[in-house]
Amino acid sequence: MGRPDEAGAPEETSAPEPGKGPRGRPVSRRALIRSTVGALAGVPLVGGLAAGDGLRRPPGRHLRRPKASSDDEIVLGISAAFSGPSRALGTELYRGSMAYFSHLNENGGVNGRRLSLKLLDDGYQPDPCVANTIELMRDDSVFLLFNYVGTPTVTRALPVLKKFRDQQVYLFFPFTGAEPQREPPYGEFAFNLRASYRQETAGLVDNFLAIGRRRVAVFYQNDAYGRSGWAGVREALAAHGETIVGEATYTRGTQFDSSMRRQVEVLERRSPDAIICIGAYAACAAFARDAEELGLHVPVANVSFVGSENLLALMSEERRDAGSHTRWLVNSQVVPSYADTSLPAVREYHELMARFDPPPPTPDQVSRIVEGEEYETVPQSFVSLEGFLNAKLIAEIIRRMGDDPRRSRIEDAVFQVRDYDLGVGERVRFGPGRRQGLQRVYYTFPEDGRFVPLDDWGARFGA
Amino acid sequence: MSAKRKDELRVRKLFRKTRFGSAALFGLVVLSISVLSIRTVSRELRDEYVGNSESIAKNIADSSVDILLNRNLATLQSLIDQFVQIQSIRYIYITSDEGEFLAHTFVPGIPDQILESDPSVNEPVERSIPGLGDFVEVGSPILSGVAGNVHVGMDLELLGLKIQRAVGQQVYLLCIILVVGVLATLWLVRLASRPLAQLLGYTTVLAHSRQRGTTPHDPILGRDDEIGDMARLMHFAAVGDPGGDESE
Repeated sequence: MGRPDEAGAPEETSAPEPGKGPRGRPVSRRALIRSTVGALAGVPLVGGLAAGDGLRRPPGRHLRRPKASSDDEIVLGISAAFSGPSRALGTELYRGSMAYFSHLNENGGVNGRRLSLKLLDDGYQPDPCVANTIELMRDDSVFLLFNYVGTPTVTRALPVLKKFRDQQVYLFFPFTGAEPQREPPYGEFAFNLRASYRQETAGLVDNFLAIGRRRVAVFYQNDAYGRSGWAGVREALAAHGETIVGEATYTRGTQFDSSMRRQVEVLERRSPDAIICIGAYAACAAFARDAEELGLHVPVANVSFVGSENLLALMSEERRDAGSHTRWLVNSQVVPSYADTSLPAVREYHELMARFDPPPPTPDQVSRIVEGEEYETVPQSFVSLEGFLNAKLIAEIIRRMGDDPRRSRIEDAVFQVRDYDLGVGERVRFGPGRRQGLQRVYYTFPEDGRFVPLDDWGARFGA
Repeated sequence: MSAKRKDELRVRKLFRKTRFGSAALFGLVVLSISVLSIRTVSRELRDEYVGNSESIAKNIADSSVDILLNRNLATLQSLIDQFVQIQSIRYIYITSDEGEFLAHTFVPGIPDQILESDPSVNEPVERSIPGLGDFVEVGSPILSGVAGNVHVGMDLELLGLKIQRAVGQQVYLLCIILVVGVLATLWLVRLASRPLAQLLGYTTVLAHSRQRGTTPHDPILGRDDEIGDMARLMHFAAVGDPGGDESE
């Protein structure tokens, strides 16, 4: 078993003494943390600790090919959006997970094994995700798939899992609430932590109808993700004897500077009382901006995938009247507010995010990221909190496999999690017919530059 | 203008109709082949286009049954998103047996013309949708229509471009053949008219010589073809012995 401070050392280099570099020089605390974070992402460290000169990374799609399953390492494979208009989602989810894994590895890993990540970028596009998944499935060292981002990507990757079912590689905690990974024929290959879009949209519909806003329209990304949310809204309205009064769509990958006026006009003709958006932050921010500017003053709700902080940041960019543009926003979340420090997991999240401040993946780590494509990290967010909780739970599941973690034992280990306290005020429970750990949905609205819990819908959005 | 030049022109006048007739004939051949080709290519490409659309619609319909019955609309959307990447397909929509739109590829929304159409009609129909373009739409029932219908819209503008390209290539080839044919005819006519012009020139010179009492000698008399025979005959008629070497 390797100690955390040795984690990034090249195979042929003898391990230095704890707290010292290969040449015996003292290691700074910052360098130690950076080396741990780097090692988690599979970064080889070539004499960097002693010199304190950071990480040197060889070129390539990933930093190094993780060695085959070993006694000291468990590799988790990730295909997510680390480039393109939705890169904030993949990046923040990764950062949240890294905060926990860094802490874990620093304290000896799980049953003596450190957890490392093999990162591949799909840019939130289905075809690269399929190719990445095949690559990960063919890599014997990848123990399981983790933290995938998006419905159109995951939906297309699921058949790959079925094709390679003999290898018993499961997908854990994808960042999507869609149904395909929760239902036959692919549900048996995935485990979810978060509540589903069906639950999120049902909650939004119920709350809108409760305050008299019965004419609900949908603005959605025209792909599997959008359709999943659309189906959730349709189903929730049908339970109340209502139908969707209007719908407008946009193309995946639409940027914030695109016009959404045609979409607003399409919906405006239907005179909605409320609009539920199923999209990514750039397009949803553009839609909310144009709706406000065209005078469509009705609540605009977003589901958790939107990335609330990134949405708010875009809408507030270079605007002195940001409050007026965001006053109709309401976002559903699948994790509690990161401001709620009464929850143990949130306190731990704050502490570890502040301590490790995981950097976003670099072009060396993920080939599609272009040099110069800067990303400004978000100190705390719902997305990184979800990544943090995902990491915490996967570590617990691996811990339950004891000294002999094998793919064939993963499912049994998950089903042992029946009443686990993750520290978010809701117990996690899995079982043969229950492949989703958490059920609760939270509602938030923007106030003073952040999303805070919404308790009184009538007072804020009463018709 | 010299007398010789005038004579040549007179000879060319003789072949003017031949030249014009040859060019007209070639033009007619090219035109008729082009029209026939345009009609054939258009019909075949269009039939192939509609046939492909019907196959795609049927393929989606067959693949959709289980997905629809499992109410898995995200997977259904994912399925049609893959098909719409085919270049000529511009839109796909799937309706339930009650006509509700369950999945589609329209942005920013479903056009009114589609909303107002009867989704149970699966015969090929041409649509002109403002802002989107012209399409030929074909449909296919899902589970004989009891589970719904799939409709696929193929881009007619793209079909038009394909037809233009295919026909354009054929017409281009025929035009080259036309130009080469006409040029070859002109060359052949010119080849045939040159000895006649020489004969005409010689006859004129012979007539002027007789007036002056001289006897011209011309290389044309040595030709061993019909022109030479005619020249010798004319010389004999005017002078007597063509081989004679009369001089003043």
